[in-house]
Amino acid sequence: MIFLKFDRRIFQHFDWTLLGLVLAICGIGVVNIYSSGVSQVDSVAPLYLKQLQWILVGLVFMVIMFLIDYRVINEFAYVIYGATLVLLVAVMVFGHASHGAQRWLVFGPITVQPSELAKLMLILVLARYFDDHKSMEPYKLRELLIPMVLVAVPFVLVLKQPDLGTGLMLVIIAASIALFMGVNWKSLLIAFGAFLCMIPLAWHFLKDYQKERLLTFLAPERDPLGTGYHILQSMIAIGSGGFFGKGFLKGSQTQLKFLPEQQTDFVFSVFAEEWGFVGGMILLSMLLSLIVWGLKIALHSKDLLGTMLAFGISALIAWQVIINMGMVLGLLPVVGIPLPFMSYGGSAMVTLLAAVGLLMNVSVRRFILQR
Amino acid sequence: MENQCTLRNGPEPSEYRQRLNLIIAIVMAAALVIVCRLWYLQVIKGDELKQKSENNSVRFRKIQPLRGLILDRRGLTLVDNRPSFDVLYMPSRGRDHQQVFETLKTLYASKSFELGADAALTKTLRPYLPVRLEKNVPLEKVALVETNAMTLPGVYVDVTPVRLYLDGEMLAPIIGYTGEISKDELLSGADDYSSGDILGKAGLEKVLDSYIRGRHGAELVEVNVHGKEIKNLGRIDPVSGANVVLTIDADIQKAAWKAFEGKAGAAVVMDPRDGSILAMVSAPSFDPNLFNSGIPQEEWIQLHTNPLNPLSNRAISGQYPPGSTYKLIVAAAALEEGIIKPETKIHCNGTFELGNRIYRCWKKHGHGSVDLNRALVESCDVYFYTVGKMLGVDKIAFYAKQFGLGEHTGIVLNHERKGLIPTRDWKMARRGEPWQLGETISVSIGQGFNLTTPLQLAVAYGALANGGTLWRPRLVERIERPDGKTLKEFHPEKKGDVKLSKQTQAILKKALWGAVNAPGGTGLAARLADAEVCGKTGTSQVIGLPQNEKARREKKIAAFHKDHALFVCFAPANNPEIVVAVIAENAGSGGAVAAPIARLILAAHFDRKKKAQMGWQAPELLATDENLHRQ
Repeated sequence: MIFLKFDRRIFQHFDWTLLGLVLAICGIGVVNIYSSGVSQVDSVAPLYLKQLQWILVGLVFMVIMFLIDYRVINEFAYVIYGATLVLLVAVMVFGHASHGAQRWLVFGPITVQPSELAKLMLILVLARYFDDHKSMEPYKLRELLIPMVLVAVPFVLVLKQPDLGTGLMLVIIAASIALFMGVNWKSLLIAFGAFLCMIPLAWHFLKDYQKERLLTFLAPERDPLGTGYHILQSMIAIGSGGFFGKGFLKGSQTQLKFLPEQQTDFVFSVFAEEWGFVGGMILLSMLLSLIVWGLKIALHSKDLLGTMLAFGISALIAWQVIINMGMVLGLLPVVGIPLPFMSYGGSAMVTLLAAVGLLMNVSVRRFILQR
Repeated sequence: MENQCTLRNGPEPSEYRQRLNLIIAIVMAAALVIVCRLWYLQVIKGDELKQKSENNSVRFRKIQPLRGLILDRRGLTLVDNRPSFDVLYMPSRGRDHQQVFETLKTLYASKSFELGADAALTKTLRPYLPVRLEKNVPLEKVALVETNAMTLPGVYVDVTPVRLYLDGEMLAPIIGYTGEISKDELLSGADDYSSGDILGKAGLEKVLDSYIRGRHGAELVEVNVHGKEIKNLGRIDPVSGANVVLTIDADIQKAAWKAFEGKAGAAVVMDPRDGSILAMVSAPSFDPNLFNSGIPQEEWIQLHTNPLNPLSNRAISGQYPPGSTYKLIVAAAALEEGIIKPETKIHCNGTFELGNRIYRCWKKHGHGSVDLNRALVESCDVYFYTVGKMLGVDKIAFYAKQFGLGEHTGIVLNHERKGLIPTRDWKMARRGEPWQLGETISVSIGQGFNLTTPLQLAVAYGALANGGTLWRPRLVERIERPDGKTLKEFHPEKKGDVKLSKQTQAILKKALWGAVNAPGGTGLAARLADAEVCGKTGTSQVIGLPQNEKARREKKIAAFHKDHALFVCFAPANNPEIVVAVIAENAGSGGAVAAPIARLILAAHFDRKKKAQMGWQAPELLATDENLHRQ
């Protein structure tokens, strides 16, 4: 009886807007990957089909994350955290290396990138921590020590792979959540000062190619054949799209494979070349609507936990959109951050769809948690 | 749980509402920056960038590096590079594709050439993507295309380096071959290979690929509408791969390869003083140059279905019963265990009875009363049946393992096999049956379950020759950069010790000397005027082989029933500097077939040495200097 009632309300208040938005963006993504892959006659299974399969897998996880009450999921936050750490360690030990990085775990036909899962896992565990340690006062540095450790462990593991982009993403998400929860301004200053001191130290640990990328960003002419070439080609692709774009499958930059990583990090260049400023604006507004919608869910949640989860997920999407677009537009250095729902990548897609499931979860349960 | 939710019951605190609104404002501001940038690139600079993308395309061209050379121990080039000419077609430059192809065909037909790959012509053409019409064309075709460039818009010749294997067949099983990277190799994704790369596919080319292949160069050029290069924007020179200096001696290798003409089998020549491999032959072989530009399907199938399996390296992956060459190990075991004394005599009347089974000596009417020396010299089977029975299979296996048999020798090549040295435990574990005494009898003359590779035999005999050191075979001496600087050196590596008393060693060496030099010896055919040779013949029966070998045999003709001929030897007797192990498949007896092959190989070594001592320099040495300059 209870379950029946429960089900009915879930259906009644289901967040169709959110689902519609996400599916629409995913759809555009698949079409776009199709276009970017047409000229690659030698690919084994077309990537757009693989992406479709991953979306279906992601939808299953979305449903799971939606159906289980987020407060129940919250109970398992530390377990999920531990499991993800195990996966990250496994990557170091048994991981599959490609392009000079060891980021993947291979399970038969499936390749998993645990660093993607780490992003969602981090949101879960931080929400759990702050929910356990509620405070009306802004948090002090001492109280933030444990969250810092919670971030530092996966951060170091991801950095070791090496995957600077994802590592930075973890830090940014954690910082966003902490700032949102409120941090004592003195603590903030100290943390910022410590961060500045860390930079020379961090530089020492960066891989050569990572240093090269940062330097290239600061002075693109340093390396016209390498990263600079990528950014240049990306900007030519986007710019040549003009106001209305060159049309579907007609992007010469894309079809001639001038673009680097055109199915992953540089998908937006492909899209902007073929659909122009108009298309770019439409896609950007859809992504923005999604982010604002997520923040609204955070605003209307019935409890702090829901607010934090919804905020964390929205922040994850927002940061990735901003950094990725900034990167392909030549505004930010090239760090490997994919465009949510658009870039090819199984683990990222599944993680994001699971996160959307969690978002819906919070969205719906504000009607159910009446008291 | 619900009691904890006191913080957020009813309307949310204004603090969070404020923060969220602030965050929305920040996101919007960031979005505005992105929109402005999009507007700037697409609308303000749109036309300019469109021009750039359509008219003046910037093209990134990869420049393949030269693979490192492979040299023999004295610097003689074994593997070089040569230019290969491909005929390409750039669709954007031709007006009427079909017309161009027809012209090319008629042009070819006038010189009675054929246009190779029609498949490329039916593919959908994309304006700026060149298609390869033909790979690796002869110079006549290049001349034809170049001189008729005016009538063939869009057709051009591209030069890429490909491998040139001098004396290809001779070393193909060791050096391997190269080819364009396959889809699987691309997907396995290791070491930043990209499509179109040439990489080692087998043998040393594969094992040492990371050294040999060098690094890509790149060129960034601006091209106009016609695909013509207007401006060179930058160039990174490719870095040639490192040269590999082998321990192989080309002269000895050549002699060994020639000695195997028309035969199937393998030979390993090793320096027992440091484990260097001076020659390694596996016959029949294949021409590695065939693989350079993609091997034609029929030839590939032929190579793969050939029952003689030319693609394998028999010296390391061919597993053969060692036959009588194994008697050395049994004799060593018996002496060390004190089961026999050198003077112990055993009577051989041609048969050995065990239960109701009769085991025969190869000499029908027997050797009469023989001591250990004669038993080895004349390879008396009954003597070793008797000794083997006394030792037991596990003791024999213990010594065989000391000699490195039944284990990988650790050579750098892939696909090395372990062979098999049976024990009681092995049979119980593998077959689930207890060991039979009769099987010990077979084992003691190197038959039965015993399997060894030619390389293992060379290493084992080498250990006797050098007084007990088991070397890890060394095939590569060093890897050096094109400028001659050494990048990596492979030092001799000791793998173990064969702990035999001085006395045992002396007895065994004397017997092996006798086998080649004393009247009645089975290996007289290997006798040499220039040096005292010690050796042991072996004739291994192809009966009672393991399952798979048997199955293969049954399918094939009677030739496969013939015995394998073996001969392992070292020389000179007093201070050995060369070990030779020879196996000729299905060729007859070791003394008649394998020993003469070994003799040819030994002769090549000692002849050269003699000439060098007389102050006469081999022409190859002069060629060496030339090679060094060429780099």
